[in-house]
Amino acid sequence: MIKKDLSVDFLGVHFENPFCLSSSPVGNCYEMCKNAYDAGWGGIVYKTLSPEHFKIDEVSPRFDELTKEDTPFVGFKNMEQLSEHPLDQDLADMRRLKEEYPEKVLIASIMGETPEDWTNLAKLVTEAGADMIELNFSCPQMTSHTMGSDVGTNPELCKSNCEAVKRGTSLPVLAKMTPNITSMVPVVKACLEGGADGFSSINTVKSIVDVDLKKKVGLPNIDGKSSVSGLSGKAVKPIALRFLQQLRSAAGLEQLPISGIGGIETWEDAAEFILMGATTLQVTTAIMQYGYRIIDDLTNGLMHYMEEQHVDHLQDLVGLANKNIVPTNQLNRNYKVYPKIDWDKCIGCGRCFVSCQDGAHQALTWDDDKRLPVFDKSKCVGCQLCALVCPVGAIKLGVVEMKPGRKGNPDEIDVGSQRLHRYHPATATQEN
Amino acid sequence: MTSKYETEPKGYTMTTVMQEAARCLLCHDAPCSQACPAHTNPAKFIRSVRFRNIKGAAETIRENNALGSICARVCPTERYCEKACTRAKIDGPIDIGGIQRYVTDMERKLNMKILKAGEPNGMSVAIVGSGPSALQAATTLLQKGYAVDIYEKNAKAGGYLTYGIPEYRLPQEIVDYEVQRILDLGAHITYNTTVGKDISMDNLKANHNAVIVAIGTSKAKMLPMFEHNICTESAISFLARAKENNGKLDDLPKNVLVIGGGDVAMDVVTTLKKLDVPYVTDVVYEQFDEFKASKKELAGAQAMGVTIVDGYVPKEVHQNRATFKHRKIDSELTITADKIILAVGQKADAEGLDLDLQHNEIPFREARFRTKDPKVFATGDIVDGDKTVVVAVQKGKEVAEEIDRLLGGQEND
Repeated sequence: MIKKDLSVDFLGVHFENPFCLSSSPVGNCYEMCKNAYDAGWGGIVYKTLSPEHFKIDEVSPRFDELTKEDTPFVGFKNMEQLSEHPLDQDLADMRRLKEEYPEKVLIASIMGETPEDWTNLAKLVTEAGADMIELNFSCPQMTSHTMGSDVGTNPELCKSNCEAVKRGTSLPVLAKMTPNITSMVPVVKACLEGGADGFSSINTVKSIVDVDLKKKVGLPNIDGKSSVSGLSGKAVKPIALRFLQQLRSAAGLEQLPISGIGGIETWEDAAEFILMGATTLQVTTAIMQYGYRIIDDLTNGLMHYMEEQHVDHLQDLVGLANKNIVPTNQLNRNYKVYPKIDWDKCIGCGRCFVSCQDGAHQALTWDDDKRLPVFDKSKCVGCQLCALVCPVGAIKLGVVEMKPGRKGNPDEIDVGSQRLHRYHPATATQEN
Repeated sequence: MTSKYETEPKGYTMTTVMQEAARCLLCHDAPCSQACPAHTNPAKFIRSVRFRNIKGAAETIRENNALGSICARVCPTERYCEKACTRAKIDGPIDIGGIQRYVTDMERKLNMKILKAGEPNGMSVAIVGSGPSALQAATTLLQKGYAVDIYEKNAKAGGYLTYGIPEYRLPQEIVDYEVQRILDLGAHITYNTTVGKDISMDNLKANHNAVIVAIGTSKAKMLPMFEHNICTESAISFLARAKENNGKLDDLPKNVLVIGGGDVAMDVVTTLKKLDVPYVTDVVYEQFDEFKASKKELAGAQAMGVTIVDGYVPKEVHQNRATFKHRKIDSELTITADKIILAVGQKADAEGLDLDLQHNEIPFREARFRTKDPKVFATGDIVDGDKTVVVAVQKGKEVAEEIDRLLGGQEND
């Protein structure tokens, strides 16, 4: 069994590995958190605590899923709000967890309505032994507009809430961001001014996942009605990565400490978040679908990746991809790369032909007799849609050519991985 | 509790059918759709399933095939669509028959009425027999506005579907359901009536614009040495008894010898195993590499514990003791069994029908289903071509179209 150092230091707290439960139904009581720690999770963001006066009252049912073909949980919609337990009970559970698992990281998530709530909750969780506090500015399904994602789009409110929290604690403070906003930067800057130390991103995306076509109501159907609420899971990963990049590329935020969240299911997802600037990672949806045991392959897979990359400390990977995401006007537009069809692999299904005809530039035609695509280089723009739809990976990046009249040496152009869209263990250690 | 004989394998669920449909590569100009004798379009109906349009999938199947639920279960797909499937080049073909079964089962559950009878054109066609080719011909004619009168010698419609194919492969309720849909389209069936005996061909000709003979091959062929052997029963007699009695046969011995290697022989040996006969030995003329039955059925029979001996021909039989010799090597084999079932082919019973059969068949490709009588047509197993249900469906459609062409009916697409 491979052994690599997955530990990270984040806001002065040491994590044995970067994987945490996010503040959600998966970390909702002592027993659940204990099981997660025992399974190998490095940290837990305990389900959000709210003031005693705010009563949590949940609907039933409260989830929905987005599917594609036979794949469940492509996206997951959730209507749960915050911890429904009495505050004292959650604090007692947290205290016990910290006593029994002193080496594991325990992060308290809190959400107040007034500045006094925030200060008070921060005090209580600090006394309960939390290592860090996460401020939930982003739950999109709160029954109060003075709480949740409406707060997270308001920089002034975020700033004053951060200040209120800081009055109640000296622990490091993470602000959890909503993606239901064009740019997080103004909010993040306001939080930093208010004393926040790092950021968790993203919370769920406001959504309607499905509509019951018979009853004409969104799902889940709650006595004939439904509501907009948060979408998570694989479907939101691209949105999450984009927000990470947006933050880490903003002037002055290049080293912003981030706990990455949004559709992490495999070690590859995890590595992507780390490369995009996350130091710790938070997971819920994949756990709801598969259980805490996914930690085994998250950690082990990440270790193998480190081995392949000759990296001894996970922290060395943080943010390595940020510099390679640039504005579109800075991309090299002087060349194109043609597809290369491996005729030994081609099975003659014609999917490349169909997509090139209907979705690209008609560079592929079809030989009815041979049942094979025919490539017309003069029409090809090098978009590589054909390679993406090929079910057997028979189409790869081929010849690189400079566009007419453009300068440059095709041999020096970095066209990246031969496998266009999937990381493959067999080629992982080869040079491109 | 339903017996093994009465239980067909589990079909797909909504989730599992989607998993199978997601395996489909959605080929351009899909080879599977070019490989069906009956011109079923699997590529189109699987794509409909993939895009969650089950009703559209049912339409694609049903508009082309009056026996879609039956073909889904009994078609030797590995010879046709699944043989052509591109996915086989990656791992294995798509289970096209299984998906078709799911879709047609849903069609039934949803009580869809996809086929419609055409405007009556005042003409009528009589059909002798009610097997798959007859049922498809009836459907196509009804869609074109013809009245259809079917004459069936047995008490139930379906021919070999009803009296041959075992219940676990094709539940009778499925056959009844398909027949009922054709009755709902307006077909009329006269049961227990043998044309040529109970009613004359001349009568049919006088009262209809055309007559289709679709009598199938309902008589067993016999090898001369078995003709008077009291231990021997024909395969079709045995299968019919099993089907009619729902698998409750009280004369089943412990040790049965079957002779023959076609699909019918496979139905016999698997039925015997389903009925808990401990020793079933099948001696087959062909060697395994030239086997007539589908590979799937051969493997299935072997997996059920049937002993299959290939390459041997019967040499002599004394009551329950049969001796075989190998076709190529110097080898003899003697088997003593409690019962012998002969599955060596069938022939037509065309008595009183005045048909000129050559080798039990009417060559149809040149003659376009015509007989020497300009008013009489033939279809099904008595005309040249494969003896599968799917080919029977193809012939049924084609004979109906030929009649319509000759009678000048309106094209009704």
